[in-house]
Amino acid sequence: MTGSHPGEVLPLPPRSVSAPGAGRALPVRAALSGLIAAGLAAAVWRLSGEPGGARLALSLVFGALFGFVLQRSRFCFYCQWREFLIGGDPRGMLGILAALAAGVAGYAVVLGAWMPDPSGTRLPPDAHIGPVGPVLILAGLAFGAGMAVSGSCISAHLYRLGEGSPTAPFALLGTGLGFVLGFLSWNPLYLASVSEAPVLWLPRHLGYGLSLALSLALLAALAWPLLRRLPAPQPRASHDPLHAVFVARWPVWLGGLAVGALGTLAYLRVGPLGVTAEIGGRSRQAAGALGLLPDRLEGLDTFRGCATALRDAILTPNGLFIGGLVLAALAAALLAGQFRPALPTRGQVVRGLAGGVLLGWGAMTGLGCSVGTLLSGIMAGAVSGWVFGLAMFAGAAGTLWAGRRAGVLG
Amino acid sequence: MLRKSALLLAIAAGLLAPTGLSAAPDPASKQLKDGATKPGATQESPLVSTEWLEKNLDAKNLRIVEVSVEPGVFERGHIPGAQNVAWHTDLVETVSRDIAGPEKFTALARRLGLDRDTTVVLYGDNNNWFAAWGAWVLAQYGLVDNVKLLDGGRKKWEAEKRPLDTRTAEVAPSSFTAQAPSPKLRARFADVLAVAKKERDEQILDIRSPDEFSGKVIAPAGIQELAIRAGHIPGSVNIPWAKAVNPDGTLKSKEELKALYAAAGIDGSKPIITSCRIGERSSHSWFVLSRILGYDARNYDGSWTEYGNAVGVPVVNLAGTVWGGK
Repeated sequence: MTGSHPGEVLPLPPRSVSAPGAGRALPVRAALSGLIAAGLAAAVWRLSGEPGGARLALSLVFGALFGFVLQRSRFCFYCQWREFLIGGDPRGMLGILAALAAGVAGYAVVLGAWMPDPSGTRLPPDAHIGPVGPVLILAGLAFGAGMAVSGSCISAHLYRLGEGSPTAPFALLGTGLGFVLGFLSWNPLYLASVSEAPVLWLPRHLGYGLSLALSLALLAALAWPLLRRLPAPQPRASHDPLHAVFVARWPVWLGGLAVGALGTLAYLRVGPLGVTAEIGGRSRQAAGALGLLPDRLEGLDTFRGCATALRDAILTPNGLFIGGLVLAALAAALLAGQFRPALPTRGQVVRGLAGGVLLGWGAMTGLGCSVGTLLSGIMAGAVSGWVFGLAMFAGAAGTLWAGRRAGVLG
Repeated sequence: MLRKSALLLAIAAGLLAPTGLSAAPDPASKQLKDGATKPGATQESPLVSTEWLEKNLDAKNLRIVEVSVEPGVFERGHIPGAQNVAWHTDLVETVSRDIAGPEKFTALARRLGLDRDTTVVLYGDNNNWFAAWGAWVLAQYGLVDNVKLLDGGRKKWEAEKRPLDTRTAEVAPSSFTAQAPSPKLRARFADVLAVAKKERDEQILDIRSPDEFSGKVIAPAGIQELAIRAGHIPGSVNIPWAKAVNPDGTLKSKEELKALYAAAGIDGSKPIITSCRIGERSSHSWFVLSRILGYDARNYDGSWTEYGNAVGVPVVNLAGTVWGGK
C-alpha cells in the first residue's frame, strides 16, 4: 500500500522524518508490527493473570493505545504550534483543543460520579490539580523552550523513539538530567513560592456544570480564530479504510478526540494520563543512589501530578504505560513505513540534550508535562493546567522566534 | 476452608435456633440465603466472610464502609453499596494529632448512616489496616458489637472476582450523636510509661517488624515520620501483625491466634497495650486481641513516633544503634 502512494504517507509535510521511502517491503514490516502487537497482547495476558496485575495490564493497554494514537495522528504539541505559527495551518492546534474538549466533558462525567459534592476541601483522587504560582509559569516557559530546542515535547519524543528518531534518545536522556536539576532546585523554589501557591480546582468554586461550561467556552474562544484560518479542503487521498487507519496520517482532530476519550478512560480505571512519573521517579532513584539529591524534597510528595515518589517495584503502572506507548508507536510506524532510524548528527545530539534538560526541569518543577499537567490538568478542571499550557506555548513561541532570528532554529 | 464452613454453620445455627430446627450442615447454605436479610445474625462474630457479605449486600440495616489508604482505590471500584471514608481526613483531626473529635465523628457517622442498631461492615486495602483503625475509632464512640471487619478485606474480595461498583451509594443519614470517646480502648503515653517502669502490671505488644523492634531501623524504608531514638518500649514483646493473617488475607482461627500470642506470654490474664509506629497497624492486632479473643486490650496510637521521641524515658535497643553524629 505504501509503495503505491508514497506522497500520501503524510498529508502534511513530514516533520521528524526526512528520508523518503519506506525501507523494507510491506510484508516484512507488517509481520514485525504484528509480532510487536502480539508481544504486547501476550504481556497484557500474562500481567492480568497475576494477583493485583489488572492495573498493570490496563496501564500497558492504555499506553499502547496512546502510542498508536499519537503516532497515527502525529499528536505533538510543539509541531502543531509551530505548524500554526510558521505554516499558518491551524488544524493541529484545533486537534489539541478537540482533545481537551472531549476530555473535559469525559472527566466531568467521571468526577460527578466520584465526588457528587465538589465544594468541600477534598480534591478528586489523584487528579492532576497542582499549585498555581510563579514557579508553574517558569516551569511552563522552560518546558516550552525545551520543546522548541529539542523539536517536541516529552510524549512526542517517546512516540518518535518508536519511529527511530535520532534526536529522541538524547532528548529523553536530557529529560532525565533536567529532572535531577529540578530536584536540586526544588527546595528553594518550594520554600520561596510553591508552598504558598494556591491549589485551584474550578469545580470546587463553580460546581461541575459551570466549570464544564467555562472550560468549553474558553476552548471555543481559542478555536474561533483558528477556524477562520482553515486551509481549503483537500481531496481525499484514498478511499481504502485500511490505508486510512494504518498508513495515512489521521487528521489531528480525530487523534484529539481519541486522546480525550483515552484520558477519560484511563482516569476512570487506572489514573490520569501522564508520561513523566516513571522518568522522574527513576531519575530521582538514580540521583538519590549517587548521593546527588537533597536529603528531603520539601512537600513534593504531598502534591498531585506526575508523582516521582521513589518506587521499589520493577514494573510500575507508568513504566508499563511508557513501554506500551513506545512499542505501539514502533509497530504503527513500521506498518505505515514511517520507521526511519538514522544516525544522529552532532546538532541533533546537542539540541536533544539541551532541549531535554529544559523539558525535564520544566516537567519536574511543573509537576508534569504537556500531557500530565496540561492535558490531564485541564480535563480535571485544574487552573494549573491552563496556566502551564499558556506559559508552555508562550515559551515555545518565544524560543522559536529568537532561535530563528539567531539562525539556530529552523 | 474449615473456618469458613464453621462460620457459615454458626450463622445458620443462629438463624435456626428460634425456629427450633436443628442446624444440620446440609440445609445450612439454603437457610443462610433465606435469612440473608438479617445481618444481625452475625452478631456473635466480629468478622463477616466475603461470601456472607455478597449475599447480604441488599440487607436493610447494613452499612458497608471502605477505609483504604491509597487514593482512588474506592472510586475505581468498591463493594456495591459501600461508602468511602478517607483515613487521612475523616477519622483523625488534621491539625492536632488525635482521633476525630465527637463533633467531627458525629457528622461522619450521620453521613454514613451509622447507628447503634445498624450492622457496619468495614473493609479496606492493605490487609484491612485502616479498616481496623476505623473499627477502633468507632469502638471508642460506642459502636462496638455491631461493627464487623470483612475477613480478608478488599484483597480477598478482588481475588475472588466478586462484583465491584463505581457508583455512589445513597443511604439515609442517621441521627447518631457521639458522646466523648471512651478512654477504655486507648492507651496514653503515661500508661505505657508506667508499664515500662514496671509501675503497672500490663503487657505491651509491639507489632512492628523485627528490625524496627530491635532498633536496627527507626522505621520502614521510605517513611517520613521518624523518631529520634530507635528500639522499643521496655517490657514489650514483638509479634509482627502479619503473623495473625493467612496468606489469603483472612485472620487465622481463634485457636491459632490464641496459641500465637500465648507463645509470647500474652494470654489475656493481664491487660494488653498494642503499639506500633503510628498506631494504625497495631489497631489490626488490637482488633484481634480485643474483638476476636475477647482480651482486655487497648491501642496506643502514639506508638513509637511518640515514645521514641519522648525525653527521659527508658528504651531498649537490642541492635546497639546509638545516637550520634557521623
